[in-house]
Amino acid sequence: MRKGIVQLVAIGIVLGVLVTLVAVLFQWLPTSASKEFDRIQDIYWFATVISIVIFSLVGAVVVYSVWKWRVPLDDDLDGPPIHGHTGLEIAWTAVPAILVIALGIVSAVVLSENGQASSNALQVKAIGQQFAWRFEYPDYGDFQTGELVLPVDQQAQFTMEAVDVIHSFWVPNFGQKMDAVPGIETTILVTPDRTGAFAVVCTELCGLGHATMRAKARVVTQAEFDAWIAEQKA
Amino acid sequence: MTATQHSHDVHQYPAHFEPPHGSTWKLLFGPGLVRGAWMAAVGFVLGMLLVLVLRAWWSWDPAWNTEVILVVGGMVFAPLGFLAGIGSFDYWLYYISGRPTRPEDHSGHGAHSWKDYFRVNTDHKVIGIQYLVTTFVFFTVGGLMAMFFRAELAQPGLQFVDSQTFNGLVSVHATLMIFLFIIPAFAGLANFAVPLMLGAPDMAFPRLNALSFWLLPIAGIMFIASFLAPGGAFGAGWTGYAPLAEGQPLGQTFFNMGVQWAGASSIMTALNFLVTIITMRAPGMTFWRMPLLVWANFTTSLLVVIATPFIAGSQFFVMFDRIMHTSFFTPEGGGYVLGYQHIFWFYSHPAVYIMMLPGFGIVSEVISSMSRKPIFGYRLMALSLLGILVLGFSVWAHHMFVAGMADWLRVPMMITTLLIAIPTGIKVFSWVATLWRGRIHLTTPMLFALGFVTMFVIGGLSGIYLGSVPIDIAASDTYFIVAHIHYVLFGGSVFTIFAGVYYWFPKMTGRMYDERLGKWHFWLTFVSFNATFFPMHYIGLRGMPRRVFDYESAFGDMNFVISIASFVLGASFIVFVYNIVTSWVRGPIADANPWRARTLEWQVSSPPPIFNFDEIPQVVGGPYEYGVPGARHAVMNPAKEAQEVHA
Ligand code: HEM
Ligand SMILES: [Cu+2]
Ligand SMILES: [Cu+2]
Repeated sequence: MRKGIVQLVAIGIVLGVLVTLVAVLFQWLPTSASKEFDRIQDIYWFATVISIVIFSLVGAVVVYSVWKWRVPLDDDLDGPPIHGHTGLEIAWTAVPAILVIALGIVSAVVLSENGQASSNALQVKAIGQQFAWRFEYPDYGDFQTGELVLPVDQQAQFTMEAVDVIHSFWVPNFGQKMDAVPGIETTILVTPDRTGAFAVVCTELCGLGHATMRAKARVVTQAEFDAWIAEQKA
Repeated sequence: MTATQHSHDVHQYPAHFEPPHGSTWKLLFGPGLVRGAWMAAVGFVLGMLLVLVLRAWWSWDPAWNTEVILVVGGMVFAPLGFLAGIGSFDYWLYYISGRPTRPEDHSGHGAHSWKDYFRVNTDHKVIGIQYLVTTFVFFTVGGLMAMFFRAELAQPGLQFVDSQTFNGLVSVHATLMIFLFIIPAFAGLANFAVPLMLGAPDMAFPRLNALSFWLLPIAGIMFIASFLAPGGAFGAGWTGYAPLAEGQPLGQTFFNMGVQWAGASSIMTALNFLVTIITMRAPGMTFWRMPLLVWANFTTSLLVVIATPFIAGSQFFVMFDRIMHTSFFTPEGGGYVLGYQHIFWFYSHPAVYIMMLPGFGIVSEVISSMSRKPIFGYRLMALSLLGILVLGFSVWAHHMFVAGMADWLRVPMMITTLLIAIPTGIKVFSWVATLWRGRIHLTTPMLFALGFVTMFVIGGLSGIYLGSVPIDIAASDTYFIVAHIHYVLFGGSVFTIFAGVYYWFPKMTGRMYDERLGKWHFWLTFVSFNATFFPMHYIGLRGMPRRVFDYESAFGDMNFVISIASFVLGASFIVFVYNIVTSWVRGPIADANPWRARTLEWQVSSPPPIFNFDEIPQVVGGPYEYGVPGARHAVMNPAKEAQEVHA
């Protein structure tokens, strides 16, 4: 039995290492370009660690059992009549409960942090209409643009509006997403922390042109942003 | 095909309601598909006239309104005409009108030739097979659609179809898979197995059972026929969100109404299962002696009867908005857009468990009998089903974390969502513990069951990511969701359906499938399934939204690999079909109990006698007492082999 346990653990470790390699060798998440996404990525890794452990555990027992206790199809004996084990059953109720509650708490904390609007947030209005995004900057006048430009390290508060059907505003590198819904206003916060060019993607099926409903987002320095605003107003 | 002994002469009815024998008259006016066809046509005309007359009477201009005529004539009256024509209502109508009914309505029982599968038949075993064959036909159609749009997606840009067709293919694919395959295929397996497992001669309401089956082809044909509608098939996704769905071309109505027929079928079957399980258990079959498949269908049926009316309502409201200009979901008329999503998900989250719990039941049967061990923690296994049932009604808004609903709802719904992982985990760990020190027979159903356990763990874990609101905000509506739902629905539900079909195949047909082909089927499916769906996690997180025909060229290579893998996955299904068809026709004759299982269906002949048990079994113990010396599940006379009867 001792030898069996060692073998089982070995299989579990091999599986765990393999899955860990899959998790770290590929870059699963886009580079974060916002404070919000930085926090989300932390929870992502927390969930990933839980997943690796659970998957390796289940995988190891399945592989080990099949390898150890497989019998030819014409074998006609029965296994030992084990009906259960209260200790084990309590353990695998309690441990997952603790894990998911921990995940829930961490998630709730991040959610609330990502929802903390500062009073000097830049106001941006995102208007979804089949099949294009338009942006307004009410603090700076009433022009509309097809390109989203944001100053770096400055929190932006988006207010979403939809003209016809539901659309969804997503910049993968910001990690934030919110539907634009006809009849109601929705909001989301983004604090860009990296300059560069990114894609604005519509993620809610909105009709024939849904796949092409995209826009460009640029995160620039405050000076560049001011210059851009002046240009728009001119 | 199979023939079973029958002691009742099917032709001995009072003459006055039997049409004259052997004539064209009988073909035209006797219950059957021919009468179904012309009565459907008559129904359509009646419905059309009703609409025209009423509209003309109220001087509405124009009197002709295609969508209304289609709904009333094509989607209500014609199907009712069809059902009346095939004879679904004959007994009830005779009864209502005071004409003599067939004294003992065992007439429809049993199948004596393949033709009996194309008639209204009240034998739960026949109905089970009707369900399975029909659902696999729709599985094939839905699968071919997937092959088609995967070909389109192999490269960025549009190659084969236009965007309306693309949206139609994606929407009809998902709709068929959910409403015409997974849900009813489980109903088919349960139809066959549950009454036998309970020691009952049939379901509680055999005629209702037959009716529920015949509603399915109506729904399926409606969904597929939407491709013929001007403007193309419904293209708002299987979720059919308003207001997009309200502005869609005519095809959307086919979805709104098809869901009604499929939903009605589910509800009737669920009621039937509930009454059967509650009232028709053999003596001694207490709840705590019921096999887990029965438990699973008990909880599923509760989910169905409580939740399904909500999707029916949501689709009616959308249709009313479309054709009656109500404003349930249009803000201009004071409607509330998010109301649709709340109602829809109040059904559709429980629906994901409707699509999973029966599979849990199947896998419990297979793993226990193939490991030759009692299922680990039987009571907790049953209780965790009930836990999922209750929790399942309190999590629907996790599909709406980015929908703009009330903020305060997010955290509570996140907590309940994450808590569902606990009963789910209990089940997974208990299956794995059942393997421990067992004597494992790696047959095809067992391979699929083990494939299910491992794949479902992946799907459940991606569910944990999505349950966490901040991660969901990043991942929602991307290919990550597509990956999640295929790990739970394909690696999960579909694998368990395959396991169930292989497991009960000898019982249903009296013949054995080919084990070697079964293994090929499993391994081809398992590998290509992972190659198809695992990379979708990646492209989704990296920025590819779902339901798009075009995407950033950076995702081109990955999508190409996915498409190739999906073709292999499609091809692997051919192995299954070949195996099933050839084994059904000329496979080796199967024993009554090839798996040496303990549950009751294995204690009668293969296929079972027409009324299942010649003598009512007396249940004396649990269903999984493998390895317990002298333990028995039930006492009964030895199985009487069914005799081939050639009339
Ligand atoms: C531990 C268990 C599970 C958890 C925590 C979980 C969680 C979630 C969440 C949060 C979503 C919403 C994602 C989004 O749209 O942003 C989702 C979507 C979905 N889940 Fe699960 N899930 C679990 C198991 C299952 C199972 C067992 C099934 C079905 C058999 C299932 C089927 C689906 C489907 C079909 C969708 C997508 C619906 C759509 O938008 O088209 N899930 N899941
Ligand atoms: Cu869109
Ligand atoms: Cu859900």
